[in-house]
Amino acid sequence: MNARTRAAATLLAPFFLLFTAVMVVPIGYAVWLSLFTEKQSGLGFGGAETVFSGLDNYTAALGDRAFREGFGVLLGYCLFYIPPLLAGALGLALLLDSALARARRFFQLALFLPHAVPGIIAALIWVYLYTPQLSPVVRAMEAGGVGFDFFSPSGALPSIVNIALWEWLGYNMVIFYAALQAVDRSVLEAATVDGAGAWRVAFSIKVPLIRASIVMVGLFTLIGSLQLFTEPLILEKGTGSAVTSTWTPNMYAYTAAFDRNDYGLAAAASVLLALTAALLSFAVTRLTGRGTRRTRTAARRAPATRTADGRTRRTRRKEKTA
Amino acid sequence: MSRTRNRRSRTTRAIAVTAAATALAVLTACGGGDGAAEGSADQPVTLTFWGWAKGTKDVVDAFNASHENIQVTFEEIPSGTAGGYAKISNAVKAGNAPDLVSIEYASLPEFVSSGALQDIGDEFTELDRGKLLPQAVELTTLGGKSWAVPFDAAPQAFYYRKDLFAKYRIDVPKTWDEFKTAAEKVKKADPEVRIATFFPDDPTTFEAMVWQAGAQWFKAEDDTWKIDTTDPDTTRVAAYWQGLLDADLVHKDASFTPEWTGSLKNGTTIGYLGASWGAGVLKGTLPEQSGKWAVAPMPHWGSPASGMLGGTSFAVTKDSKKKAAAVEFAEWMSTTEAGVKARIASGTSSAFPAATALRPVAKSSFDASYYGGQDIYALFEEAGASINGTWAWGPSTGTTNTTIKDQFGRLGKGGPSIADAVKAGHDATVAELTRRGLKVEG
Repeated sequence: MNARTRAAATLLAPFFLLFTAVMVVPIGYAVWLSLFTEKQSGLGFGGAETVFSGLDNYTAALGDRAFREGFGVLLGYCLFYIPPLLAGALGLALLLDSALARARRFFQLALFLPHAVPGIIAALIWVYLYTPQLSPVVRAMEAGGVGFDFFSPSGALPSIVNIALWEWLGYNMVIFYAALQAVDRSVLEAATVDGAGAWRVAFSIKVPLIRASIVMVGLFTLIGSLQLFTEPLILEKGTGSAVTSTWTPNMYAYTAAFDRNDYGLAAAASVLLALTAALLSFAVTRLTGRGTRRTRTAARRAPATRTADGRTRRTRRKEKTA
Repeated sequence: MSRTRNRRSRTTRAIAVTAAATALAVLTACGGGDGAAEGSADQPVTLTFWGWAKGTKDVVDAFNASHENIQVTFEEIPSGTAGGYAKISNAVKAGNAPDLVSIEYASLPEFVSSGALQDIGDEFTELDRGKLLPQAVELTTLGGKSWAVPFDAAPQAFYYRKDLFAKYRIDVPKTWDEFKTAAEKVKKADPEVRIATFFPDDPTTFEAMVWQAGAQWFKAEDDTWKIDTTDPDTTRVAAYWQGLLDADLVHKDASFTPEWTGSLKNGTTIGYLGASWGAGVLKGTLPEQSGKWAVAPMPHWGSPASGMLGGTSFAVTKDSKKKAAAVEFAEWMSTTEAGVKARIASGTSSAFPAATALRPVAKSSFDASYYGGQDIYALFEEAGASINGTWAWGPSTGTTNTTIKDQFGRLGKGGPSIADAVKAGHDATVAELTRRGLKVEG
């Protein structure tokens, strides 16, 4: 082994060690657990024995309507959450990036601030704001003639989406804003000189240029949405709301393990959720990846409009000036 | 007092739940090496004990101060359904459980059937059992074996605002019919005010009502669980509460949340259908309303009866090597004057001891000035004697109650009815027992 390989091995070792300890082993253990179940006999007071049950836990989870409905809730959540999140964050970032914006730093900070509040605390604050007898918001709404029960079966999803938007809008706005800052100003100037108005610059130049960021944020949000847990759990435990203990697949696994003592079922449900997440991310990266490639090829064909990567452009300009 | 949902609000407990979930792997290691069960003054046996009931710390301190052979380390955990049970099961699974744990009667069969506990019959003798309320002993005897030392009985009780009942000219209802009439009167007197609260988050309150009415959901016969939730008593209670909800005669708030306590504080809720331990909870939650509350027996269906709402027992975990010492400590908490006194003198607990002879001790230790000096223990005594002895808990309370709670949360227009919720709980229970390989009919 030469010095280089040794160095590489030494530097990589901590990563792989931790990766094995906190990722591979627990996942393996979960898969292992999911293949067993506890069986009892008679009245059950003789204790339980753990028996190999093959894929029984998987069929039990998939056969449980509550588990399947959890995915339905996730779908609804993604539909109601991701588009407004992306549109809102992008809109705010474009506003901040536009020439009109004043007090940029202040708004950047103010909008980002909710994200600094831990999810649990955010959920607790919102539960307070949703609770009929306590909330000034609900009182004001009722005074204005708009009665809305945030805890009702139809109100639960909007309530959760609202908390998530509040938490994540500013964060994603900052990502988009940072990407917009990296856009080469000369491109924008050129567009303005060519007669493009502010809208045109925003939607035909800026947005396509930060496409990669949008895709990334979309993907992360999608994966994050599948893990939906904290906010609905607080709504479930802390109120008499319509959020059930199996509202999302993650909560289903949690309830199976800790309320029902069924670790096998919980493990199977978790593995199924993880598989869904893996498949979805694969699909999303594949789809958007193809899209990006297409843009790149188009860009190569027409070098004058090559704008997909601001940095390349800037270096090239530097070369020119040199 | 068990299930003491204390001043800590539901929301704080929600944090605890989540924290318990995340802290899964970091459960404190307990038990450990010092093998002998019988300690000596030089080498005392050290026990670890998990619980959440009010006043427990005072009890442990008093025990440690008066015992040389056994020393107890107490760790407070979230109350059972708020994460405490999850913590206990996980610790048992991980092999680092404490020696002694608090478990409510409703959850005991589930812990026994998951194999988390050990039979304490050889230490917890007939003599000791004889000191305790038979109904409570019955609930801790499963499959002919003794699994836990009962601590308290939790007969139901109706707490009400004496001053506001007088203001609205309402007589304290003795039966459920009178209760409904009173509820109507209250609403009429002030459209904002309700006589009591339906707790959608807490099926055990509803189950206590069903128990009181004479239902018996779980029956262990021969080797088979017989589950029946469509009996006339359950049906009657479900229809009664559905009626109260439909007519908007009671509030619907989650129990022990800021929502609920807020409505008690501002007088828009003037009664609380609870149990003996609730006396301490009210006192701790609403100290400013001292002197305004009184206690009445639970309204009944014709002749006085009571269900049990909560109630704690102490059980020894399966891997503990200190069973003798653990049972000794548990018995001290449950059956000795010093043990009961220490808990109730803490001021926060209104536990109604399962040990019949110790009730005068509890009574004299509890400062009843909050209830205008009312003899609340005499009332608990009567209610305790009227507890229906037929009720038993099934081995999957977690599944049963979680399912009912989920449905209760969706009660209302377009949602399920109380009867639907009970049926869902029934079906989920049967499915769960079948899945575990138990024999079940129902």
